[in-house]
Amino acid sequence: MEVMIKFLIASALMWTVPIAVLYGFNHNFFPGSASLSQETVTLWSGILAVISVNMVIVLYIISAMKEPPSDKHEPDPRFLADAKASIKQQLGPTEGDPSSDRAKQE
Amino acid sequence: MVTSSSSWARALLQISPYTFSAIGIAISIGVSVLGAACLIGAAIKAPRITSKNLISVIFCEAVAIYGVIVAIILQTKLDSVPQSKIYDPVSLRAGYAIFASEIIVGFANLVCGLCVGIIGSSCALSDAQNSTLFVKILVIEIFGSALGLFGVIVGIIISAQATWPMK
Repeated sequence: MEVMIKFLIASALMWTVPIAVLYGFNHNFFPGSASLSQETVTLWSGILAVISVNMVIVLYIISAMKEPPSDKHEPDPRFLADAKASIKQQLGPTEGDPSSDRAKQE
Repeated sequence: MVTSSSSWARALLQISPYTFSAIGIAISIGVSVLGAACLIGAAIKAPRITSKNLISVIFCEAVAIYGVIVAIILQTKLDSVPQSKIYDPVSLRAGYAIFASEIIVGFANLVCGLCVGIIGSSCALSDAQNSTLFVKILVIEIFGSALGLFGVIVGIIISAQATWPMK
């Protein structure tokens, strides 16, 4: 459940932060963005929006790596039983052979 | 060669630059979302789902968001131009600049989304086999998502020059 919540928060942030940065630049929420020429507004708003998306991704990766590792993966018990049975079956018929092999080598 | 009345040069000159801009904005967001949807699913019978497995999904989503960012930037660049100046060379240049920027971003995001999607599915599969492989394949995925980043940067730089003629 926690995993889902973290993922949804990260997704929502990824959408809202760059769009907020873009609109902030265009509607003068940041102090001093009114005095820049149109070209610089485009450049800086675009670059800052892309950087903010990458920051959100990095923060999500860091928080995902810090999660405690969950319990080890248990193989399916039926599959395990079938595998063991097939190995025993393979070893069974061949256990009678070593004595006859020794006889042949002499 | 005589320039007939239906040569390519005249056709390109008669198409309004707004056509190119509008088509381009659509391509930028549409194609990059198409790329982001290429997270080819890999289902494993592993009882755990942790945040680590969802990192690939976040990378694919970032590709779509690059397309949205560029589409918003480009639509703020569309200005109204008086009727007499629609076919002015400067306004044609602005129309082509917007179109070029969008094609760059759209197709770069398309291939980036494909790349990240395929790497992400193999990342999930190898993590289920052997947990130590996860970080190594994640590094490859980070390089893959840099492809989309390059496209966005070039697209933004080209579109920064697209200014329509003043009245």
